[in-house]
Amino acid sequence: MNRYLKKNYALFNKETRANRGLIDGVKRVAKNPTSQYLFFGIVVCLFGFLVCTVFSRDVKALIPKDVFEIIKMITGPGDLTDFATTFIFGIAAIGFCLLMGYSGLASLGIGGCIGIGTYSVHFIMTEAGLPIIFALLIAVGVALLVGLVVGFISLRIEGIYLVILTLALSEILRTVYSAVPKYATVTYYADFSGVMGLEYENAVRLAFITVFLVVIMIITTNLIKSPTGRAMLAMKNSTAAAQAMGISLIKYRLMAFVICTAYAALAGVLYMLVIPSVTATDPTGPYALITSLNILAAVIIGGYKSIWGALFGTFIMWGLEKVVFLKILKIFFKVFYDGNPTAEVQNTVNVMITVFSGILVIIIAMYFPGGLAQLLTELKFKISKLFKKMKEAKYGKDLG
Amino acid sequence: MAGFINTPLANLGSMCVTALVTLAITLIFRTSFTTNFAQGIISAFGAYIASCAITKWGFPVFVALPLSMIVSMLMAAFVDVVLFRRGRYVNALSKQIITMGLISVITGLTPVIFNEVKEQKYEINPIISGSQVLGKMTNSAGAGVPISVTNANLFWVAVTAVVISLIFILLRYSKWGLSVRATASNEYVAGMMGINTHIVTAVSWGVAGALGALAAFIRAPEASAVSTYFMTDYQVTAFLAGILGGFGTFHGPVICALILPMAEGLIYATLTYITEITGMQDLNNWSKAIVFLIALLIIFIKPQGIFGKKVEKKV
Repeated sequence: MNRYLKKNYALFNKETRANRGLIDGVKRVAKNPTSQYLFFGIVVCLFGFLVCTVFSRDVKALIPKDVFEIIKMITGPGDLTDFATTFIFGIAAIGFCLLMGYSGLASLGIGGCIGIGTYSVHFIMTEAGLPIIFALLIAVGVALLVGLVVGFISLRIEGIYLVILTLALSEILRTVYSAVPKYATVTYYADFSGVMGLEYENAVRLAFITVFLVVIMIITTNLIKSPTGRAMLAMKNSTAAAQAMGISLIKYRLMAFVICTAYAALAGVLYMLVIPSVTATDPTGPYALITSLNILAAVIIGGYKSIWGALFGTFIMWGLEKVVFLKILKIFFKVFYDGNPTAEVQNTVNVMITVFSGILVIIIAMYFPGGLAQLLTELKFKISKLFKKMKEAKYGKDLG
Repeated sequence: MAGFINTPLANLGSMCVTALVTLAITLIFRTSFTTNFAQGIISAFGAYIASCAITKWGFPVFVALPLSMIVSMLMAAFVDVVLFRRGRYVNALSKQIITMGLISVITGLTPVIFNEVKEQKYEINPIISGSQVLGKMTNSAGAGVPISVTNANLFWVAVTAVVISLIFILLRYSKWGLSVRATASNEYVAGMMGINTHIVTAVSWGVAGALGALAAFIRAPEASAVSTYFMTDYQVTAFLAGILGGFGTFHGPVICALILPMAEGLIYATLTYITEITGMQDLNNWSKAIVFLIALLIIFIKPQGIFGKKVEKKV
């Protein structure tokens, strides 16, 4: 750092004589997105290891039976796999959030691009037996090419037509995947038990995926705050004005699509580590239209301008059902009926969750276009105004 | 060689279904200015009603068809009145997302309404069965292969032709058609000219729902089962046909909706022929990918579609 920067480092970091204390330092760190993501990742990993420790044989013997039953109702190693799946779709959703919120383009091609990742894992790891780094490189490389193709198409065609074209592209990819029957189903059995033992397998898997998620979140936030991100935002608001300011549309559109596709391919690679077998012809599988639509819904619900929003939306679409609602149902049944919910009730609850998420999407799209992130920001603003009013009532108006 | 004629003839049903779904999507696109991602699920709902009527309540087949069309029409009009009337001033992407939320809602409610039976199927073959043999051709093995088309396909082609012609005649010569074209052209000005755009939009959604129900009714006997996602493939093809034909006109997407399955059938027959000659396996699974790629190429060359109108953007 040169001397000019060093002299002004304090101002650069918004640090003044007034807020150099410990609490202010902690606040500053807490506001920094990178540290927020790291904290989140560490908390999740610790949670995973804690759950696995509690459920391991040695510790299980130490806990009294009733307490253990209660713990089993609240959480368990199966939850960690659900969290892992949520985080995987969260990575794809963050890519989509970058595309939609910061570049103003929408693409329903996520399903097909997830396939790039799964197939590269299959060919490189299952058939050739090479380590995961090669699968990652090949997946990202192919995704680069696909992203370039889509980017070039986007220069000709805009708006709603582009969305449908990316949908068609995803369908082409899906048809290609299911064309050769030998490769219509891809399998890879990820064995994480070698690291810390069989009991910690779920936790290690979750930690592995969380590392990727946190890295992606940090990269994307830095990208958004950089000149590249600002150029993309300018491109979103008005292509004509951006071009007049000298921003190359080609470069940033291609970059946006390439990043989105690469994230989706990464999500595909990680997906194979969690789900051992994927069939291309499955209409509810990860390559289908419904997955792309669910990711779009997740990003919209959470707020398409916010990375935490994308993650939160993904949790609502994929995690809420298994991690929260089914638990509440089981606890409810255990407490009031002292039994397990029947299959019929479970089906009805599944249905209600699907309907509920649909209604949530509709209401948010109609009345809160900025998603839940916007809602929270407005709420925070209103609460701070309320506090300010209370202070004014108590101490009198702030004379500056 | 017989395959070249037989396969498109067997695809006639597919062409009818795609054409109907495309017309429905085009109608909604031009009056509500949104792509209706829920078209597949609304059509599937119509098929559920028809199959319930036939298998459970014992209605004759050709009473179940109008019944399912009317119920779908009412449901689609209800969706428009409740959702899209409120959300008229929402931007285009949000309208698409509303239709996506609709998919979840209807997908969730369907098994509940129909007593959790997720998949049913019905046969209309007892009514229209058999096929007409049009001729004979000798194939490469020297045997005579009949060129035939099933009576069912002929019947549905006739029905679809009548329905689509009816819609186009209405669009061109009736007052409703004039209102639809005016609304499609510019919604605000149409409202200022005294057209009740609320009713126009609601009726358009209703017609789209009815067309979707008819399409699903044709498709259902050939599908392995009626499920909530059995129309998704047709919906994707319909969207592509819409773009290929250009959403600027009404007839463009429908014509392309007839071309795409026919092209797919011809390419399938070609690939089968090549498989016979060269012995490479499973080539004909690639037919759909090839057709979509060619369509993408055409769209890349002509972005507004084959029949579309170029829109001049004002700065």
